[in-house]
Amino acid sequence: MNSQPDTPDLANAGASSDIQAGRYYGRGIPYLPIEGYPGKLIAIEGTDGVGRSTQIQLLREWLEVKGYGVIETGWTRSPLMQPTIELAKSSNTLNKLTFVLLYATDFADRMEKEIIPALKAGFVVLSDRYIFTALARAGVRGVDRLWLRSLYGFGIAPHLVFYLNVDVKTLIARVLAARGMDFWESGMDLKVGDDIYDSFRAYQSKLLKEYGSMADEFHFRVVDARRSIDKIQEELRKQVAAFLEPGAASKSDG
Amino acid sequence: MTFSLLHATDFADRLLYKIIPPLKDGMIVLADRYAYTAFARDATRGVDRQWVRELYSFAVRPDLSLYFRVPIDMSVDRLMARRVKLKFYEAGMDLGWSTNPVESFRMFQGKVLDEYDRLVEEFGLEVVSAVGSITEQQRIVRGLVSQQLQINHVEIPDEQPA
Repeated sequence: MNSQPDTPDLANAGASSDIQAGRYYGRGIPYLPIEGYPGKLIAIEGTDGVGRSTQIQLLREWLEVKGYGVIETGWTRSPLMQPTIELAKSSNTLNKLTFVLLYATDFADRMEKEIIPALKAGFVVLSDRYIFTALARAGVRGVDRLWLRSLYGFGIAPHLVFYLNVDVKTLIARVLAARGMDFWESGMDLKVGDDIYDSFRAYQSKLLKEYGSMADEFHFRVVDARRSIDKIQEELRKQVAAFLEPGAASKSDG
Repeated sequence: MTFSLLHATDFADRLLYKIIPPLKDGMIVLADRYAYTAFARDATRGVDRQWVRELYSFAVRPDLSLYFRVPIDMSVDRLMARRVKLKFYEAGMDLGWSTNPVESFRMFQGKVLDEYDRLVEEFGLEVVSAVGSITEQQRIVRGLVSQQLQINHVEIPDEQPA
């Protein structure tokens, strides 16, 4: 329903060339100007079961001890949308388009009600997943990538994006040991087969590929997530410290 | 933004379940409001115009779009005649322009009408004056619809060898 039938302008849809940390990716939210807000947005990305929440919890404690105000925000956690998304997932009426739009609504709510106010007040916002999860999930389901980038043009480019990278073999072992495979994390809605193990493997492989393809475009800092919790945390802290306190970057921190 | 996106979600659901299947079957689909409502309403709420258009780019472009235009005063009078309480969002009360629902409605819907006027040009909406009687309006609508359907009927024999 575009008045111009040609494809949307990539520059406005959020191409890597003009991404600026702390600014909107695309057309933004006109009634919420965000220039000059003192807060910092740090996104921790990675597929299901890669260890994001553990890392965020540790990072948060460390930042708070250092005196930063920290808030966390996470995918589908908006009070407005969480019940709706759960309800929609439990019924069989969701299709890829409504799936994408429900996620986007949840993100918009958190953007307006959590992330932007926190940035304005000078908080460090730790985001458990960010728009890349939505882009990856929709991408493997065949949703137009340019449309997705335009849709998420109201998102703010984080100051740091850590991508916890893992191979599918390590991931499977970890998920099985922790809690088992879940319907959606296995992409069972894609109906590639009845076997949850095979489906999980195929779906997560595609997802990992999709995340990987976004690394350059969105300036991911790729972190090898196959290592121990402590090793990963150490690397995250080092990079976060270097960003937040450039002067004290050389001083190592435990 | 959430207002805009929730409506888009609802629209996508209706498009895929209620609009596309009958179109595929060759039926005529009558849509009471379409994406244009979102374009007008969301822009009035301060959402980026181009963003909303790109958001709805998954929608099917209608073969015929009718816009029933009415002056804001008449709109208010008609609504007040049969309904005392204006709906919160319909009156744009969320924008906080006025605490008086009727006043807020007038301001908000007045701006929405301005947005519709932009859309008439941009998307070639057929304007039907909604000031006249129902019978008069229906006559115009039937004229436009039958014209549209005949155009489609003419195209079919063209594609077949004589």
